[in-house]
Amino acid sequence: MKNPINGRAAKPLSPFAYLGVLPFLLFALAFMLLPSGALLFGAFQDAHGRLTFANIVALFDPSILNSYAISIQVSAATAVGGVVAGFLLAHAITMGRLPKAVRSFVVTFSGVASNFAGVPLAFAFISTFGRVGMVTFILKQLFGISLYDSGFNLYSFWGLTITYIYFQIPLMVLIISPTLDGMKREWREAAENLGAGAFRYWLRVGFPILLPSLLSSLVLLFGNAFGAYATAYALTGGLINLVPILIGAQIRGNVLYNPNLGYALALGMVVVMAVALAAYVAMQRLTAGWLK
Amino acid sequence: MRQRKFWSWLWVALAFTYFLLPLVATFLFSLRGKKGVLSFLAYRRVFDDPQFLSTFGFSLEMAILTVAAGFLLMVPTTIWIELKAPKLRSLIEALSYLPFVIPPIVLVFGLIRMYSRPPFALVSTPALLVAGYIVISFPYMYRSISAGLQAIHLKILMEAAQSLGASWISAVLRIVLPNIRSALLSAALLTFAIVIGELTLAVMLAWPAFGPYMALVGRDRAYEPAALAILSFLLTWLSVAVMHAVTRGGERSDSGAGAVH
Amino acid sequence: MAFLELEHIEKDFGAAPVVSDLSLDVEEGEFVSFLGGSGCGKTTTLRMIAGFEVPARGVIRIDGQDVVNVAARHRNIGMVFQNYALFPNMTAFQNIAFGLSIASMAKADIRIRVQEMLALVHMEEFAGRYPQQLSGGQQQRVALARALAIRPKMLLLDEPLSALDARIRTRLREEIRQIQRAVGITTVYVTHDQEEALSISDRVVVMDRGRIEQVGTPKEIYDTPASRHVASFIGTLNMIEATVRDAGSGVLDVGGVAIRTAAPIRAAGGTVIHAAVRPERISPSTGAAGDNRLSGSVTETLFLGSTVRLVVHAHGRRLSVDLFNDPDLPLPQIGSAITLSFAPEACIPIYASSAYRPE
Repeated sequence: MKNPINGRAAKPLSPFAYLGVLPFLLFALAFMLLPSGALLFGAFQDAHGRLTFANIVALFDPSILNSYAISIQVSAATAVGGVVAGFLLAHAITMGRLPKAVRSFVVTFSGVASNFAGVPLAFAFISTFGRVGMVTFILKQLFGISLYDSGFNLYSFWGLTITYIYFQIPLMVLIISPTLDGMKREWREAAENLGAGAFRYWLRVGFPILLPSLLSSLVLLFGNAFGAYATAYALTGGLINLVPILIGAQIRGNVLYNPNLGYALALGMVVVMAVALAAYVAMQRLTAGWLK
Repeated sequence: MRQRKFWSWLWVALAFTYFLLPLVATFLFSLRGKKGVLSFLAYRRVFDDPQFLSTFGFSLEMAILTVAAGFLLMVPTTIWIELKAPKLRSLIEALSYLPFVIPPIVLVFGLIRMYSRPPFALVSTPALLVAGYIVISFPYMYRSISAGLQAIHLKILMEAAQSLGASWISAVLRIVLPNIRSALLSAALLTFAIVIGELTLAVMLAWPAFGPYMALVGRDRAYEPAALAILSFLLTWLSVAVMHAVTRGGERSDSGAGAVH
Repeated sequence: MAFLELEHIEKDFGAAPVVSDLSLDVEEGEFVSFLGGSGCGKTTTLRMIAGFEVPARGVIRIDGQDVVNVAARHRNIGMVFQNYALFPNMTAFQNIAFGLSIASMAKADIRIRVQEMLALVHMEEFAGRYPQQLSGGQQQRVALARALAIRPKMLLLDEPLSALDARIRTRLREEIRQIQRAVGITTVYVTHDQEEALSISDRVVVMDRGRIEQVGTPKEIYDTPASRHVASFIGTLNMIEATVRDAGSGVLDVGGVAIRTAAPIRAAGGTVIHAAVRPERISPSTGAAGDNRLSGSVTETLFLGSTVRLVVHAHGRRLSVDLFNDPDLPLPQIGSAITLSFAPEACIPIYASSAYRPE
């Protein structure tokens, strides 16, 4: 590989260079890689340490497959919702000709809201849409509408979805705003010059350029929701069988104690996340040159 | 062009409503501690609860340890990569972003499995919790510090300092660190916000942290959880607002993206 | 009736006026440049013609039609931007074809037209390349082809060459001019580079702080600048401070020496004005009869390639004198005395302020 500045071949990396990053590498190894590796290996072992595929097979138990299905559905739903709504909001504050203060406020709020996830968020939604929540209460008292009798239930798939969206949308806003900043105003103007209105511009130029970023955001949001434990736990108390909840139950030994199955569940989750991350990285590479 | 402004305001207004609604509702809910009248009873109960202070204090302690140890680990490493081993950047970057693939629930499972038995029986020491937190904060710390170093053109700054006679260490302490102050502060605040409210690691490793405390309150009480949610929200808002004020918009706007689930 | 008519155009950004009372007529097929420094309002004016900004007051007519209320995309104007603005997700071919496909042209016709355009800008082999795979100059050619493909009524160029290297700039600006002549399209060109404006335009509009300072052919602007700003903006100019001695006969006083101008001076006796003289019109000799003469000493000699510039201090003023680089002629020594001469016709009186008003 040639040094772009003076054309000479770059120096090969000396072993000395690794010295400075050694602490980090050791730490990452000890507290991230090895534990995860141990977990993943455990998926292929039985209670006595012997090699087996029984745990993997056990993953295909209908109730477990159902968990994966629900997790994937919730994650997909909130990822799509987050991407669409987040994009519209991000577009409004970056390209919508609004005062700078609005953007600043939305970005700050997004920083807060995307960190607000977990127990407090669950509490907030219970206080709002729960059986005795404020909105439920007000709808009953003022409008005579009984939310729960109409079939709504916060502690369900849809309840989980609208709760998750609360941190998915801000995350999307934070991710996609810099990308939208990179969209040159002149593209829109050039397209207008050539006769294209807003619809045609977005159809032929805008969205094609943004597509890799949108897809990679979709994948990131999916991963974010898929791995979420705290919010789900605090909201549903373990009622809904999402994969993280299942894993949590295994860790605490609340169910038929089979840690190896838990490891297999974790393996399944890591596989899903790894695929998502690989897709994300691949799509980021695609956009590399376009939005400079 | 005028049309665009209208739609923009509309979306912002709609978003605002959606995001504000739960906050307002929660706040109102939290005021219903006393039957029939609006009061701050729930808040008072929260503050009077000795467990509130003790668990919050515990989490605070953990957060400070995480930030300190995390910096001790990440700052020299990142500086080293920029100066001496740029080739290793992709490796370190990949490792720093790996926590995205390993959600806390999986991480804690692995930590328990590996460190439950001697000779590495760390599972009952707070060190393991802090280690776990550091791993979770890897991506944010790395991104923040690395962006800060790139913004100050580290290599050139170091060369200038050395040409004026400063030693390596002296240059780092006197020139680099002060100039990445805002990046460090924002990394610290973000890690802070993450650790204080964290549930997964704390509950699985059975520590009396703030997250598990909140979950417990949620199970037993009706209005106190809402008060806690509001308090938590205000605390997070404070951290993020300080972070933004300190960086003055100089960093990428996605540097505050969240981690807690 | 001119092809493009701007009448009393005004534009404000907030409280600050960016363009004030601007009026101009551009004939069909003419190549007009707006020349000025940053902030002078030239780009804003161009964008108003294109339809991306709306004037606060005034009328814009293109081919007789009032277009102020017509949206940009209906004005049928081609525009070339400073940073090319090619669509990164499309090849050169697709970029050029874009406007045509919006107009629902048949695919076969589009192909013919795009090939025509590619040939016009000499980019035939690059049809399948994406913008990231093209150099700056190549991208700009594609941008030009894209703008012309739709057969626009007018062509607008917003500092199209400022992002390019000097050598490419020179070549490309000539190509742009050739293409413009070949197609015969009315063109408005915005630039801050005076050499660019002077070399390729039919007329140059010099702007400063939102107003037109002068409109004229390149030679008029250069030889007879109407105001101090125009004079100092275009080329190098000696600005000799002088007092009016006899306005009617065109006599000025420069440090005690009498200097004549060719035309009467429009200022009262005793007023301090500037006499502008181009460096190349001053000769380091006693000159012909009737020439103005100044004596001084050489303080510097600068070698500029094909020109040699002498810096002379005379009568308390600093003057630049440009000579052709003649290898046989010895250069005067620094510190040596020197006599300078220039014709009265070369001496242009520049008054304290002046603004352009079209008749």
